Amino acid sequence: MQEKLILQNKIAKGDFARGGETSSNLKELLRKLGIQSDKNRRVTIVTYELEMNIIIHSHGGEIQVYISSEKIRVVAADTGPGIEDLEKAFQPGYSTADDEVRDMGFGAGMGLNNIKHYSDELEIETGPGQETKIVATVYL
Amino acid sequence: MMKKHSVLLKEELCAGCTNCVKNCPTRAIRVHHGKATIKGDLCIDCAECIRTCAYHAKYSMTDSFEDLEDFAYPIVLIPPSFYSQFRKLGPEEIKACLTKLGFKEVVDVSLAAEALSYKTAEFLDQYPGIFISSSCPVVVRLVRLLYPELTDHLIPFKPPVDLMAEKARQDALARGIAPEEIGIFFLTPCPAKYTNISNPLGLEKSHVDRAISVSLAYQAILEVRKEAGSGQEASGGEEARPEEGEEGVLPYRGMGWGQSGGELKAMPETVQGKSLSVSGIHRVKALLDEISRNNIKGIKYFELTACNYGCVGGVFNVINPYQARYNLRRLELKGRKPVDQDYSQYNFELPKKFEELKIGQLDSNLEKAMEKFIQLEKEIEVLPGLDCAACGAPDCKTLAEDIVNGLASRSDCIFLLRKQVGELADRMSALAHELPPVMKKDKKDR
Repeated sequence: MQEKLILQNKIAKGDFARGGETSSNLKELLRKLGIQSDKNRRVTIVTYELEMNIIIHSHGGEIQVYISSEKIRVVAADTGPGIEDLEKAFQPGYSTADDEVRDMGFGAGMGLNNIKHYSDELEIETGPGQETKIVATVYL
Repeated sequence: MMKKHSVLLKEELCAGCTNCVKNCPTRAIRVHHGKATIKGDLCIDCAECIRTCAYHAKYSMTDSFEDLEDFAYPIVLIPPSFYSQFRKLGPEEIKACLTKLGFKEVVDVSLAAEALSYKTAEFLDQYPGIFISSSCPVVVRLVRLLYPELTDHLIPFKPPVDLMAEKARQDALARGIAPEEIGIFFLTPCPAKYTNISNPLGLEKSHVDRAISVSLAYQAILEVRKEAGSGQEASGGEEARPEEGEEGVLPYRGMGWGQSGGELKAMPETVQGKSLSVSGIHRVKALLDEISRNNIKGIKYFELTACNYGCVGGVFNVINPYQARYNLRRLELKGRKPVDQDYSQYNFELPKKFEELKIGQLDSNLEKAMEKFIQLEKEIEVLPGLDCAACGAPDCKTLAEDIVNGLASRSDCIFLLRKQVGELADRMSALAHELPPVMKKDKKDR
């Protein structure tokens, strides 16, 4: 089966009230499509981290999810400000989230690591002052 | 007879309102032809529909005391929550009443509960990762249906009632009672535990033979008390007090299991410190959503119960859950330590693994499921999104799914129907104004 777009959600900066909505909808959708539950869980966790990253760190963005017979691709694109130091961003516990966000229990500095851990492939295009595009792939 | 579920409908009482439809946590109910019907494969026996129905059309039946005649040696198992129904009658008096009602043995499920608390704590020390209590059958059914990815996180042990039933039977056999004479009865606080007899979880066959609802048992006990001239529970008398030397004899700690939090309290403090209790089906669902997306940190063990406040909130109970919690707490406080017993007498391991359910998929083939999904998106687009439930489905998305699955049609939506009627009326009106060519314009009013 050719790759098809199955979900597209705009995500606004700081919109904590809707945090988790995209991943919840996706989980329900993948269940309906008959995706194996362990794969579904991995995609759900990756998507949740990605949507929270957009809410916490970016100026806003969008998540798109594509499915084919072989894989599920989650594409998270935002409008900046970009990840300053990608190497550091992968260090457990490293976070640029402000205290207010951390007080809410977010920004613990595990996001990218979690995404890497639960996806089979991870591509990141970013840089200081640039837009960020992250593509996480889970093979079916 | 194999019964998959135990919630029933009194058709003559069902008004065709959609309160139960809206409140069902698995969207298992539809109103068709004015009657609320349950989709059996989606029902988890949580009894929310029984609670919600203002017309008392939803109900559940259990076995009765007449079933005692089926067995020469009936044994009754008392669940921890049962004691919460009595403020003045203590456990020993309650047991005496049940003996008078014809049971040869009266056994506390709380004993097995204490054993399971110990076993679970030991298990949690051994295995990494998070775990969910499997003692509430509704929670097990919910996980398998809507959170299949968490099925492996359910504790792989039998719940207290099955542990105790199995042991009680073995003990009776060891005393020389013939197998066919033994009948294991359970006083059930909820329909789900009744369902487990005909439709067990993780077992080929339930160890329980019959279940009698708490409300029937409560009435029978009051009758016994009346006949004995001991007065009713409801009038006068002192609150039950601990008797001298009772400490360590009765499983007071296990009795705490009757309400949410009790399972944890019966465990070592090391486990309590990394565990959480949540009760009420909608809260349990919200929590499972968070666990599923890995958004709960630091918690090792979850004690989840579908009824509000745990088993004291079961629909078969007689008294309100608040009074019940108070009554039970008073008993629980007496249990500073568990009863001294040999835990190896219990056979904890489930013979079958809990299996995830594959229900609610659009198709088993991904490509076909995708085609249906595209159709589904279209239907959702067409429907008004008001979630009014007047179509008999809980919300527009569910109606859309029913349409795609050929179980409903667009005209089930009163808003779409109204629109269609309006369009039809417009077309009729337009047609009426189109003149047949043979007619002259000035004669149109003829």
